[in-house]
Amino acid sequence: MISKIMAAGLSRRTFLKSTAITAVGAALPGASLAAGEPIKIGFLAPLTGAVAAWGKPGLDGCMIWAERINAAGGIELPDGKHPVEFISYDNEYDPAKARTGATKLIREDGVSFIMMLGGDTWPGVQPVADKTGMLFSTLLPSDLSPDSTTLVAPAEVHPIYLVTGVDYLADTYPDAKTAVICAQDDALGLPSVATYLAAFEARGIEVLEEPLLFDPATTDFAPIVTRMLSSNPDIICLDTCYSDYVHPICEQLFQQGYAGKMISATADFYDQMIAKTSKEFMEGFIFQFPDFDDPALAGDNINFEDANGFYEEYAKRHPGQWGAVSWEYASIMELWKAAAEKAGSADPDAVLAAMKEGGTGNHAFGDAVWWGTELFGIDNALVGDWPVVVIEDGKAVIKGFKSIPEWYDQHGDLLIKHMQAYNQMYDQRS
Amino acid sequence: MLKYLIWPIAAIALLALPHGLSFSQQEILVFLTINVLVVSSYRLLTLTGEWSLAHVVIMGVGAYASALFTKEMGVYVPVSMLLGGLVAALIAVVLSFPLFRMKGFYFLIGSFAAGEIIRLLWKHFREPFGGAKGIKGIDPMPDFSIGIYDFDFFEPISYFYFAGFIVIICLWILWRIERSPVGLTFHAVHWQDKLAEASGVNLRAYRTLAFAVASGFAGVGGALLAHYIGTINPGSFDLDYMVFVLTWAIVGGTGTFYGPILGCVVLTILNEVVLREMGFEQLRPLIYGAILIASILFLPNGLESIVQKFNKRSAKQ
Amino acid sequence: MLDLLAQTGLNAVYAASYISLVAVGLVLIFGVMGVINFAHGELFMAGAYVVVAVYADMHLPFFIAVVVGLLFVGCLGLLMERALFRPLRDNPLGGLVASIGFLMILQALASMGFGVRMEFIPPVTQHVVWFTDSISIPLARVYVIVAAVLLLSALWYFLKRTRFGWALRASAQDPQAAELQGISIAQTAKIAMFIGAGLAGIAGALTAPLISVNPHMGHSVIVTAFIVIIVGGVGSLEGAIIASVVYAFVHTFVTTFYGGVIADITGLSLMLLVLIVKPTGLFGSADRA
Repeated sequence: MISKIMAAGLSRRTFLKSTAITAVGAALPGASLAAGEPIKIGFLAPLTGAVAAWGKPGLDGCMIWAERINAAGGIELPDGKHPVEFISYDNEYDPAKARTGATKLIREDGVSFIMMLGGDTWPGVQPVADKTGMLFSTLLPSDLSPDSTTLVAPAEVHPIYLVTGVDYLADTYPDAKTAVICAQDDALGLPSVATYLAAFEARGIEVLEEPLLFDPATTDFAPIVTRMLSSNPDIICLDTCYSDYVHPICEQLFQQGYAGKMISATADFYDQMIAKTSKEFMEGFIFQFPDFDDPALAGDNINFEDANGFYEEYAKRHPGQWGAVSWEYASIMELWKAAAEKAGSADPDAVLAAMKEGGTGNHAFGDAVWWGTELFGIDNALVGDWPVVVIEDGKAVIKGFKSIPEWYDQHGDLLIKHMQAYNQMYDQRS
Repeated sequence: MLKYLIWPIAAIALLALPHGLSFSQQEILVFLTINVLVVSSYRLLTLTGEWSLAHVVIMGVGAYASALFTKEMGVYVPVSMLLGGLVAALIAVVLSFPLFRMKGFYFLIGSFAAGEIIRLLWKHFREPFGGAKGIKGIDPMPDFSIGIYDFDFFEPISYFYFAGFIVIICLWILWRIERSPVGLTFHAVHWQDKLAEASGVNLRAYRTLAFAVASGFAGVGGALLAHYIGTINPGSFDLDYMVFVLTWAIVGGTGTFYGPILGCVVLTILNEVVLREMGFEQLRPLIYGAILIASILFLPNGLESIVQKFNKRSAKQ
Repeated sequence: MLDLLAQTGLNAVYAASYISLVAVGLVLIFGVMGVINFAHGELFMAGAYVVVAVYADMHLPFFIAVVVGLLFVGCLGLLMERALFRPLRDNPLGGLVASIGFLMILQALASMGFGVRMEFIPPVTQHVVWFTDSISIPLARVYVIVAAVLLLSALWYFLKRTRFGWALRASAQDPQAAELQGISIAQTAKIAMFIGAGLAGIAGALTAPLISVNPHMGHSVIVTAFIVIIVGGVGSLEGAIIASVVYAFVHTFVTTFYGGVIADITGLSLMLLVLIVKPTGLFGSADRA
C-alpha cells in the first residue's frame, strides 16, 4: 500500500495535505494548534455489544486521566499548555465501523492520536493508517506487522509477558511437572496458548494433552473442568481467558476438588473469585495484573503518575469495575504525553519519533525497549519487565518484576516454533 | 416525458451524492450500498415465502471465496468477485437439499443451523480460512483510470461509484427476474403452492432456484465488502448482522421491490448517522430497538406503505 | 474412566434441566402466540439480573430473589403480550421484529444499569455432594435440577389436569376452534406469556450464581433453545424436554471427550440430521410450522 503511494510521487504527509485542501473544514492533525487549544485524542474501541467490556472501562479510565492532567494545566508544548480532550467512536468490534470511525476521527475531528483495542478491528483500520500516517496504539501486539509503521503496542505486550508467570511458577514450585491448558478459541486465546506451550517447554513442564479450546459462547464449564481434571495435572493453566470464563472455571475447579497450582493471565475481580471458592483454594494463584494500590507500584521504576491515586479515584467512580483495561489505555496516554512534550509537538510523526528515540521507552512497569522484530516483523512493542502477581492471604501481591527480553534471548526459538504451529507469526497471519 | 428524465436525474444525483457528505458519511455510504444489494437479494428469497437466517453467512461464503481466489490464486479482483457469487450460489444449492425438506419456522431455524455450521467451520479450519481471526490483507480492487476520472479505491467515493455500478446492475437483474415468468412463479409458489403444484410446477426446483440466485447476489455483496475493508472474519457475518438484514427487510416491507431498500437506507441513516451525531453512546441500541418496535406497530405494512399511500393520492389528483 | 463417564453424566443432567426450562417456555409462547420470541434469551438474562439486584445488592435471601425473578420476568412477558404481540397478532414477522427490538432495549438497560462487565453473585451454598472421591455435584446445581423437575411437573399437571391448561392446549392447537368453544384467546395468551417468560426468568435466576452474568449472556442460551425446540418439534412440550435431555447429553459428552467447538458443530449437525429425517422435529406435527 505504502509503496503504491510513494510511486505516485506522494508522501503520506502530502497526501494528507492534499485531501485536507479538497475537504472543506478538514483539519490537518496536529498542525499548528493555537495556544490553549485542546489536543484531541481519538478513542476507537467497542463501547456497546459483546466486547464492550474491553473498551468502555478504558474510556472511563481515560476520562479520569484527562481530568487529572487538565487540572494540572494539560500538555506542555513550546507554545504553551494544551488541555486534552477525548473523542470516542463506538466501533462495536466491527472492522467496517472501525474504518468509518478512524476516518471520522482523523479527517473530521482532527485528532492527533488514536487508541484502539485492536484485534478484529485493526485490519479494517490499517489502510486508513497507512494512507494518513496517523499514529495508532493497540492493546494487542499481535496486530503489529512490518506493513504498518505507525501502529504501536506500548501497554500490554500480550501474550509474551505470560512467560514471566511460568518462570516464577517453575522457580517456586519445582515439583510441579505437568500442566493442562484451556482457552477460548479466538484471537486472544490462540497466541497465548502458543506462548504458554513455549514457556512450559522451556522449564521442562510437560503439557499433558492438546490445549482444550472452547467456543467463546460457552456458559457451563463443568464438562471442560471435568476433562482437565481427568488427566490429573499438577498445574492448570487458564490461558488468557476473560473474567467471564476464569470465574466459573475456578469455581468448578474448586467444587470438583482440585488442589493443584493455577496460573492465568488475568484474575480481574479476584476478591469475587475468593468469595466463590475459598481463601485457601485461591492461595498461590499466579497471574500478571497487579492492583494499582500495590505498594510496589509507588516505586521509582513505575511510569504511571500517582498510580495509587488513579486507582482510588476509579474505584470511587466506578465501584467494582476495576480491571486491567481500566488503566491500560490511560498508561498509553502517559507515554504519549511524555513523547509529545519531548517532541514539542502533537504531530503524529514527531510524537512517534520522540517515543521511539534511542530504542527505549517508559513503560508503565519500568523502562523498556522497543522490541519485536523477530516476532512481529517490527520493533513497535514496548517490552521490558512485567510483574508476577500472586494471591497471598486473599490479596494480590507483586512478587517481583521479571524481564521479558531476557527470557526471549534464551528461549526465543521455542516461542517461534509454537507460534508457527498455531499460525500466529506475523508472516502467517495475513 | 418525466418518465424518460427520471433515470438520468437519478444517475446524476447518485454521482453527486457522495460529494455532499462528510468523509465518514462517505464510508457509511459504501457499506450502505453493499447492504442494499444484500437486502434486495434477500427479498427475492422471501418471494417464495421462506425466511432464511443463513443469508448473511452465505454472503460471507462469497466474501471468503473471493478473498481466497485473489490471495491463493491471484485471480483478478472483479473476476474473483463474480466467482465469489458463483461459489455462494453453489453452496446454496448444496444446502437446499436438507433445508427445503422444511418449511416455515423449521426452515428459519434450520437455515440458521446450517449457517452456524459454516461459521464454525471457518473458525475451526485455520487453513485456509484463518480461524477466528479470519483473513486480512485482502487485495483491494486495483486502481484504474477511465480518462475523465481516476479511480483510487482507497477513497470511499471511488469505491462507491464502483460498488454502486455493480449493485445497480445486480438490482436490474433482480428486477428483471422478478418480472419474468420465473419471478411470477416464485409468487405462485408462495401464495398458491398447492395450486401451483397441481399445475405441474416443480415447487422444490423453484425454491432452490430462488435460494441460489438470492445467495449468488449476496455472495457478490460479500465480495464487494471484503475487497473494500480488506479483512473478514467469522464474526463479520454473525447473527447480529443477520438480524439487521431481517429487520431492514421487514421494517421496509417486502411487498414491493423498493421496500427493503427503503428500510435499509432509513434505518442505517438513523442508527449510524443520526443517533451517533446526537451523541448517544450506550443508549444507541436502546433507541434503535424502540424505533424497530414503533415502526412495526404503527407501520405494520412497512415503510413502503407510506410511499404507496402517497402514490395513490397523487394518482387520484 | 468410569468415574469420568459418571461425572460427565451428572454435568449433563444439570445442563439438561436449565435448558429444558428455557426451551419449554419458548415452545409455550410459540404454541399459543404463534410468534418466535427472539428476546427469550434476554428474559433469561433479566431473571439473572433480578438475582443481582435482590440477592447480591439488597442481600435478601436467594429463595426470595428467585421468586421475584419468576414474577418480574413473568410480568415482562405480560408487558410483551400487551404492548407487542397482541397488536401484532396477525403479523408473525412483525412479532419477530418487535421481539428483536425488545431484546435490544433489555440489553441496553442492563448495560446502563449494571455496567458492561460481569456481575458478582455470592455463592448460595458451597456444599458439594460427593458420591465417590472423584464423582460429585455441587449442591447449588442440585437445586437447579430439583427446581426444574418440580416446575416442569407442575406445568404438566397444570396443562393436562386443569381447565386453564385444557384451554391453553386447545388454543395452541386450533385458535379458531378454541374461540368457538368459548375460550378467551386473550386470556390464554396472557397466561402463556406469563408462564413462558417466567420459566426463562426462573432459569436465569436459578443459574445466576453458577454462570457469568453479563448483558449479553442471553445470546448463547437462545441459540441452544432454538436447536432444542426444533429437534423436539415446535409446539411439543414433551418433545422440548426430551430434546433438551438428548442435546445436553450429546453436547456435554462431546465437549468432555472431543472439545467444545466440535460439540457445537455436533449439536447443530444433529439438529439438521433430525430435520432431514423428519422435517417437523421428533414430536412435531406439520400444521403448526
